[in-house]
Amino acid sequence: MPISRSQLLPPALLATATILAIFAVAPHEAWARVKLITLPVRERVEIQLDHEQATLVEEERIVPLVKGENQVDFSWANTQIDPSSIVFRVLGGAGKGAPDVNVLSVSYPPNESALVWTVSASDSGSARVRISYILGNLTKSFNYRAVAANDETSLDLSQYMRLKNFANEEFAGAGVWAGFGPKFSKQIGLNETKELLIERFKAVPIEKTYTCNPAEYDYLDRPQNKLRVPMHYVIKNDKEHGLGAAALPFGKVRIFIAGGGDDPQAGTAFLGEDWGKFTPRDDEMRLYLGVAQDVVVKRTIEKNETRRVSGNLYDQELIVKYEIENFKKKPVRLDLVENLRHLRSEVRPDNGRDVEWELGKETTFQDGPDQERSTAEQLTFHAELPAAGDDGKAEKIVHKLHITLKNEW
Amino acid sequence: MVNLMGALFAPLDWSLKRPVRTLAQVWINRTPLRIKLTMNTNMTHSSFSLFRTASFAAIFATIAIVIAPRKTQAENVDLSTVPARDSVQLTIYNSEDITLVRETRVVSFKKGLNPLQFSWANTQIDPSSVELTILKPADKLELLDTTFPHDKPQMLYWNVQSEVDVEATIQITYFTSGITWSADYTAIAAGDESMLDLEGFVRITNNSGEEYENAQVRLVVGTINLVEKIAQLAQIPMSQVNEMEELKRKDLKSRATRELFFKSDALAMDAAGPRGSGGEMGVPLEEAKQIVKEGLSEYFIYTVAGTETIPTGWSKRLRSFEADDAPLKIEYRYRPREYGEQLVRMYLLANDEKSNLGTSPLPDGVVRVFRDNGRDGLSYLAQQTIKYVPIGDKIELNLGVDPEVVFELVKTRAAREEIWTKIHGTDKFKLVGDDARREEENATVVGWNDRLSYQQRIRNYTAQPINVEIRRPYEGHVTFESGLEPKLHDFQTVELTAQVEPGVKKNLDFTVVQHLGRNAKQNNVTLEASNK
Repeated sequence: MPISRSQLLPPALLATATILAIFAVAPHEAWARVKLITLPVRERVEIQLDHEQATLVEEERIVPLVKGENQVDFSWANTQIDPSSIVFRVLGGAGKGAPDVNVLSVSYPPNESALVWTVSASDSGSARVRISYILGNLTKSFNYRAVAANDETSLDLSQYMRLKNFANEEFAGAGVWAGFGPKFSKQIGLNETKELLIERFKAVPIEKTYTCNPAEYDYLDRPQNKLRVPMHYVIKNDKEHGLGAAALPFGKVRIFIAGGGDDPQAGTAFLGEDWGKFTPRDDEMRLYLGVAQDVVVKRTIEKNETRRVSGNLYDQELIVKYEIENFKKKPVRLDLVENLRHLRSEVRPDNGRDVEWELGKETTFQDGPDQERSTAEQLTFHAELPAAGDDGKAEKIVHKLHITLKNEW
Repeated sequence: MVNLMGALFAPLDWSLKRPVRTLAQVWINRTPLRIKLTMNTNMTHSSFSLFRTASFAAIFATIAIVIAPRKTQAENVDLSTVPARDSVQLTIYNSEDITLVRETRVVSFKKGLNPLQFSWANTQIDPSSVELTILKPADKLELLDTTFPHDKPQMLYWNVQSEVDVEATIQITYFTSGITWSADYTAIAAGDESMLDLEGFVRITNNSGEEYENAQVRLVVGTINLVEKIAQLAQIPMSQVNEMEELKRKDLKSRATRELFFKSDALAMDAAGPRGSGGEMGVPLEEAKQIVKEGLSEYFIYTVAGTETIPTGWSKRLRSFEADDAPLKIEYRYRPREYGEQLVRMYLLANDEKSNLGTSPLPDGVVRVFRDNGRDGLSYLAQQTIKYVPIGDKIELNLGVDPEVVFELVKTRAAREEIWTKIHGTDKFKLVGDDARREEENATVVGWNDRLSYQQRIRNYTAQPINVEIRRPYEGHVTFESGLEPKLHDFQTVELTAQVEPGVKKNLDFTVVQHLGRNAKQNNVTLEASNK
């Protein structure tokens, strides 16, 4: 009765990637069903998660070899190893008098998740080999926990990596590297999901912004011309703000705010969550907090005048008026964003052409558009809003954007 | 069990036909080969009915030589010998599913007529391609005819006339499908990315249904023209093959291909060296097999040293070359037509001697790129299919987007100029200018220029200076204004290059003037210097 490989293995190893050194008898007898095999254990495992899509596993084993030709059998039943990605490297002998080893060929049996390396050894002894392969279903994702200080000028940002092991393989004491931050040594069991704290950034200065942008966020109340005013925490990924060592990967951010009492921890409240986009160094991660209720912006197009230039060619002069009230007890800086294609579509049919524009004299924003944040198509202005009075009354601030859309037809 | 029985007993067809086991022992094969040469000692064409009774025969292919006097139809007792393969050579293409098999066998012929039977059931052989050649002594033996029996599609008979009793070497050639080979590569860059180790492999897969033991293996790089698929031809009887269209063309093509193979004979034989797999027990450190590369006409032939046995269903991967420390250049490229709308990082090297390469072209194949991660391990970078790389040509490996380099294009200004109108009902055109303001004529805009200013922002967070090459294609009539010394890659593609030091943000300003409507007089890009 032939003995199959699976009968020789302890059950725990059945579903796992295994490596078997089959002592050479004669090359042609290598495929016979009766075999004597050794089961070299993993000496070291590294899981490299630095690639965006693929997970690279590297493992080292000490394989006993006899002088001459040896068959080294590697199988990965029920796991998603891409067989063509397997790299087999002999690192040299394990200890004194270790043999020199050459890899002669690799054979792939039919209908089996396995391969057989044919290696030649100069002498009998043990060799340390490293096998690297791309493993499927061992995936990572990132998420963050942000706890804002009570005054909302800074936050503590914790970055976590969630490692999902559905690869049908367990890794004892595996070195795990996310591609940045420190390296971990972890036990990763079958079907386990592990959440690892990668780094904690203390007191990261943030900016809380209030924005109105009709193209993106629309009106809160159209009949009353009230714009929606979304709030964001803006985290700048640079050294000045205690970050900037690496890009921040995409992930969900849960946002909390510390309480105001003696024990801020106790009063911590959940503010909401948002998807943090992939943020390269020096870029901003904007976290949406919801709509501000106490900053009211009414937007109307006060003037819309068409002037014929020639034939069917026109200039169109517009004045957009913003009436702004801040009912908060502290001053606020409001970002007003106008997408000019969107603005044009409000007053004339869209012709798809680029918007050529010119600011007019009646524009009230003293410093003009914010150069850093404005482009040919979208202008950003800032409005400083004073705090509401003690009686709760807000001062009404009026701003105007005077703009001429030129050469339209 | 089957394997062992195969070595000791005759295959099923023979044991049913007659007690030939003692003879069969002469022909010892470890595995049940499906293609065989047998020499039937007393078979005549009239005794084909014997074969019909053996429905099993399907599994084993044989050639039989008749020795004894001819029998009558009533006689079912038969005697055959089964000459073993003496040598076998496989020439495998990667561009088509075709392999030329050339095998030699030593057969004893008696003086007079010698019938031979050859069959190949359950294999992928093209029946129209099977040919018998008498190698030695060619002048004493003559192939009289070839017969394809109507009821056995994967079988044929040859009649050989011999002038003497002689031991002859014959060669049988045929095309089979199901044996394929492909190339693949593993590239491991050094930690500092100044060098790269490139290893090339060939992987041979045998799904032909036949095990060719100790075969000399030759791999052909290059494309050939086939008018019919071998796998298709293998599935139909010879009678239908003859009715197929363009048979003559195909036949000519086969002959031409064959000639090519034979021309390369001496070369291949030299390269292959002595026979035998060489993997004997107790041999000290054995080197991986050499794969000898030789050019031939428009083709390149890789010959694997020694011989190989690849059981059916298996595949085997051998190293074809190894180049250590090939110098490596890194370039960042924006070429939307080739790599999509993204800046990609490239490894550039050359298939030449300086790179310890250049001994052969690199056939199409998948390259897997790793990098030494400096922590005693590898980082996986990318996987990419490369197209055939001739000797001396560049090898370009696309590693995808580098998160450490930020690349964005911002439109900073849009304006229209040189606006022409056409006055209705006339052939008159008017340039719109200050003097033309407030004209109330009925006129329509028919031509204008869009002047669009852009800023290409590049931020380099890597530890090294980077070289960036940007190719932007523009449709229509365009004037490209820039002080960045742009070049035209082709009539409609502008190429800009820049070096960005580590930690630096670089802004490249340029203006694109698109001539539209009646202003479009050309379909090309003109470069103009600008102060910006």
